[in-house]
Amino acid sequence: MNRALPLAELGLAATLILAPFVLPHVAADIPMLSRILIWGFFGLGFSILFGFTGLLSLGQAVFFGAGGFVTAYLMIEQRWNVLLALLAGTVAAILLGLVIGYFTERRRGIYFAMITLAFGEMFSHLDLTTFAHYTGGENGLPGVPPPALFGWRADSELSMYSFIAVFFFVGYLIARRIVASPVGRILLAIRDNEGRVLATGNAVHLYKLCAFTVAAAYAGLAGGLLGMFQNYMPPDAFTFETSGQLLIQTVIGGASSLLGPLVGGAAWIYLRETLQHGFGLDTSWRLILGIVFVLLVSFLRQGIVGGVVRLFHRPPAPLDVDHDLTAAPNVLSPAARPASFGPPILQTEALGKRFGGLAANEDVNFAVAEFEVRGLIGPNGAGKSTFFRMLAGEMQPTSGRVLFRGKDVTGNGVCAMCQNGVAKSYQINQLFDRLSVRENLLIPTLAATRGRFRLDLLRSITADPAVERGVHDTLALVDLSHKADTPVNQLAYGEKRRLEIGLCLASNPKVLLLDEPLAGMSPSERVSTIQLLTRLREGRTMVIVEHDMEALFGFADRVTVLVEGKILVEGTPDEVRADKGVQTAYLGGVDHDLPAEAAA
Amino acid sequence: MMQGGPKSISRRTLLGTGAMLGVAAAGLRPAWSADESPIGTFPAGTQGDSVFFGLGCESTGPYSAQGGDMLKGYELAIKHLNENNGLITSITGASKPGILGKKVTYQNADTASNPNNAVQAFSRFISQNKAIMISGSVSSAVAIAAQKLGDREKVIYLAGISGSNETTGVDCQRYGFRACHFAYTAAAALAPVLAKELGTTRKVAYLVPDYTYGRTVLASMKKFTEAKGWKTVTEQLCPLGSTDYSSYLLNMMASGADTLVNICFGADAVNSTKQAAQFGALKQMKLVMPYAAPFFANEVGPDIMEGVYGTTEFWWTLEDHNDKAKQFVTEFNKAYNYKPEWGAHIAYLQTALYARAVEKAGTFRPVEVIKEYEKGEKIDTTIGEVYWRASDHQLVRPVYVIKGKAKKDMKSKDDYYDIVATVPGEQVMPPEGELGCKLGSYT
Amino acid sequence: MTTVFGIPLGLIQAQAFNGLQQGMLLALISAGLTIIYGALGVLNLAHGALYVVGAYAGYLTYAQTGSFLLAIPAAAAASLLAGFVMERLVVRFYYDRPDEDQILVTFGLGIILVEAVRAIFGGQSQNTPTPDWGQGASSLGFLMFPFPWYKIETIAISAALLLAFYLVLYKTKLGLVVRAGIEDAGMVNLLGINVYRIFLIVFGLGAMAAGLAGIINSPITAPTPDVGGRYLVLSFVVIVIGGVGSFPGAVLGGIVAGEIMTLTSLFNPSYSEVMLFAVMALILLLRPQGFFGQAGRA
Repeated sequence: MNRALPLAELGLAATLILAPFVLPHVAADIPMLSRILIWGFFGLGFSILFGFTGLLSLGQAVFFGAGGFVTAYLMIEQRWNVLLALLAGTVAAILLGLVIGYFTERRRGIYFAMITLAFGEMFSHLDLTTFAHYTGGENGLPGVPPPALFGWRADSELSMYSFIAVFFFVGYLIARRIVASPVGRILLAIRDNEGRVLATGNAVHLYKLCAFTVAAAYAGLAGGLLGMFQNYMPPDAFTFETSGQLLIQTVIGGASSLLGPLVGGAAWIYLRETLQHGFGLDTSWRLILGIVFVLLVSFLRQGIVGGVVRLFHRPPAPLDVDHDLTAAPNVLSPAARPASFGPPILQTEALGKRFGGLAANEDVNFAVAEFEVRGLIGPNGAGKSTFFRMLAGEMQPTSGRVLFRGKDVTGNGVCAMCQNGVAKSYQINQLFDRLSVRENLLIPTLAATRGRFRLDLLRSITADPAVERGVHDTLALVDLSHKADTPVNQLAYGEKRRLEIGLCLASNPKVLLLDEPLAGMSPSERVSTIQLLTRLREGRTMVIVEHDMEALFGFADRVTVLVEGKILVEGTPDEVRADKGVQTAYLGGVDHDLPAEAAA
Repeated sequence: MMQGGPKSISRRTLLGTGAMLGVAAAGLRPAWSADESPIGTFPAGTQGDSVFFGLGCESTGPYSAQGGDMLKGYELAIKHLNENNGLITSITGASKPGILGKKVTYQNADTASNPNNAVQAFSRFISQNKAIMISGSVSSAVAIAAQKLGDREKVIYLAGISGSNETTGVDCQRYGFRACHFAYTAAAALAPVLAKELGTTRKVAYLVPDYTYGRTVLASMKKFTEAKGWKTVTEQLCPLGSTDYSSYLLNMMASGADTLVNICFGADAVNSTKQAAQFGALKQMKLVMPYAAPFFANEVGPDIMEGVYGTTEFWWTLEDHNDKAKQFVTEFNKAYNYKPEWGAHIAYLQTALYARAVEKAGTFRPVEVIKEYEKGEKIDTTIGEVYWRASDHQLVRPVYVIKGKAKKDMKSKDDYYDIVATVPGEQVMPPEGELGCKLGSYT
Repeated sequence: MTTVFGIPLGLIQAQAFNGLQQGMLLALISAGLTIIYGALGVLNLAHGALYVVGAYAGYLTYAQTGSFLLAIPAAAAASLLAGFVMERLVVRFYYDRPDEDQILVTFGLGIILVEAVRAIFGGQSQNTPTPDWGQGASSLGFLMFPFPWYKIETIAISAALLLAFYLVLYKTKLGLVVRAGIEDAGMVNLLGINVYRIFLIVFGLGAMAAGLAGIINSPITAPTPDVGGRYLVLSFVVIVIGGVGSFPGAVLGGIVAGEIMTLTSLFNPSYSEVMLFAVMALILLLRPQGFFGQAGRA
């Protein structure tokens, strides 16, 4: 990865330097290049928000306009220095981003899109009315002076282009840093599986707010640059057309690439000029570009840059057979299990959950001691999943409490529970499909080492040795070191299950909640997973829900049986196996001498 | 001081006379030895045998109908220039086809009434086509942005339709010129007529599109009508691009007003007026359109237009009063099969006046052309005698107060209006400096 | 005269009635949007464009035949057809693609439709005269001012169309399948019902609702190619208020939105639309599922 970095930057720098001399020969004049760069800059932040985090905002124009008008106003009326004015505009956009982000980031998908669109319309209206005194209303603010610094003035097309190009280059470098930072990695994971990011102990909404604000900052600065480039700050900076144009350009160029919006902007602006003036298609150019857009979204969804990358991408290495089958069985002689256990680390008091009239769980008093391995079994519909979810903090109980080391943690949510030390691994894999194994494990490790949120946007992911070590160790524990850089969607099922457990482990939890870790596995995979769990149990507490009782009984210290939402019996595997009530519950009655109470 | 006898001319006198002659000669120096130093697109744009006009008439957006009409006006004017047509040469005084013998070429960019598009398009016309003049649009926002651009690039911009006071007020530019009437002059012309025809004790409700242009017109109208004794009972500011005006109409009807002044323009004016008619609001209130848009009458229909007062820049029935107007209307009708609206007229007029200024200055160099404009000579045109005011680059010209005709009185399908008053420009112009105009430098 | 906050009661009443009329129209448009989202999971950003298609098809028919009554089914047919074509050619390939892709493609399709209309008809507004049976005004005995007959009739027409919609959705087998599809499309498919044919029909119905709204509103607001954009944004607000995917939510949300706009104009006309957005933001904060939406769908 690191080798590629300077190449991209050098390439970009070379392109930026050569463009104004080469491209005008192909009917692209220098002002067009400057304009493309401004849109590219606008798009740097947007690709972080949309391409990397997966948040489709239809209202970026708000920040573009706000930053632009603040900068323009300060330069015209207050005669501020250009750098200070740009800074003020960017700060204004950031503040606005925080406020609007607070309202919007709690939703995703279509709600997020709709509310950003609505905010865009609202600000467009406010620009024309309430703030018209400062923004000039529909007239805009003409007369933005060109940038002047320490005696130098951008009074030619080329000097203005250079000014903007410098900003773009620096902006690109910063954006790259952000993407490669812990925050950036988490944003990428949010796009794939927001819920799991939260469950691994990261405060997702704060990271989303961060992405939103970063996009707003880039937008605000781009707006400021537009005003001084055009010598005029236009009111349509606030309109939906502007947000729409940004979106179209980003998609055309490729949303998942920082340079996508630049490429898309170049294509869009160039095509627009050519169609309008080259072919005289004064009014129908938008129709043609609309068709191009739909075709691109349908067939080249990754955009131009994405398509090019795919073209040059090496085909993936052939799928390795899961070599666990051939590995020497690592049968640990299990260290002697303690005869008795200490005080409970995780417990519930009269925990209950009602869904309307149905009581999924009722009056469950459960306690697992530290370093104990507890199995949780029960027939279908017994309420195991519901109970498990309440333990993990995914679901709020309707009655009772959950306690961790004696402290009430009821309803604290998955993120807090994970940060406390309770992590869950899921029955159906909840992985980050587009990321590699290593990148998957990074997410919980980051939460474990950095806490639920840290604004380390400019820090490199490789800077913290604790993180590297954590990922390395987890990879070794789940025996996926050889597959560290394989994307998840190329793993075998067994490997995915191991990764699933690995995600849980990487949080360094004190209590692991494992939801059917053996689900869907072949016999050999089961064996190796049990071996894995056996390796892991040292120094850790586990609660395991399983249907494979053979495996579970050979592994657990104690077993709890849930039937119809209540605990039926608890004890050692042998005790539970022999219990008549359990047999009846599962089999509906084994012997003819049924205990009275199991007749239900 | 006299040294020597009466017959000897003193050296001082000789020098003095010589100096005076020199000064006189300098003042009278012929045009062809004017300053030829490059500025803006001069002389780059005039090197060949043609010059380029960059036009920004909208073909899409809310004012596309007006923009289309305006573009035809430019096209007709340019055609006339290139063919040395008698109508235009009677204004320009040119002897050869074209301007100063150079053919006029042009291109139009669809600004869609969007000042940002306009700035981009005009910039391109200047940098790529070396446009010697840029012009057009139906939006004051475009005019203000474009003339600022022209001022920076040192290329003359001629406003098309621009009703906001600011264009020759606080946002006036040395390189910008406006020939049409605007909020202040419209209100100043309209108010006395309204007072005379409708009385002085009226209660007015204003329907105002909530943006700068709307608020400007409101301010001017209030100023002049309140001076005549009218009372403003409500101002309904509606968001730009509203589609349903019923809420505002209801509020206005409840206010007890007997006059409805509709400041909306273009499609908004059509919608709001039709809805007002549907509500029967127009039975209760008299409708006034202080700044009537081209095609308003066509789109709204004579049933609603009957008795409606307004102002306009030009109306085709002027052909009965002015030979040049008659020629213009006839030629336009022949070329495009309909009678020109005032967008077309202002385009024609601005082009003709520009060509005249260039011919008189003898050069395309903008500084000299501007100074020619600023001389303020009286010019005979399609709307009678007009002249440019140097202090704000606003053409002093008549404003026409119109009244909608009843359907039965219409002599032809386009005969929507009676011109009830032709108010001379001097009577309605704002006092110099009142609108805050400070022109910049020439270079 | 009784006043509330200094405003005559009669005026409040008139504005409330006005709000009902505007609201019913919004309800019709939003109902179409909401069932498309509910059943297909697609947020149809081309919905405003479908309004425009209906308005123009209706206008064309009206101009050719002089009959407004013919224009209405023409608008319905045109927008239904447009919806079918969109779904079959493009949208149906997107059901398995992420939400964002669906938004993007409908956004692009919307642009195509609007620009096609603009290319054919030009950019100026099309004068659609009020039909004869809509001329005049009446105070209906209780209103402070006469209300245009046509507007009163649109309340009835919108209500009738919404009722027809309701009957189809709740009283027919097709409607049952559609509503089941809104609940769980996968299950419907597993039960052996061709859920994709249902999607086609739902998309067409939704498009038709928008197109009908387009022609009905044309005598009030002359159609231009760009008029649909505003209704698109407003219908978003409506379905957020009412609950995304819920038909009764769209109706209630539409009426509430109409009332908010008209009643706000009593105090500050300029903010009538902004107030709507403020309410939407509030609902998204406090009760994101809206009135009738299901919690957890957010």
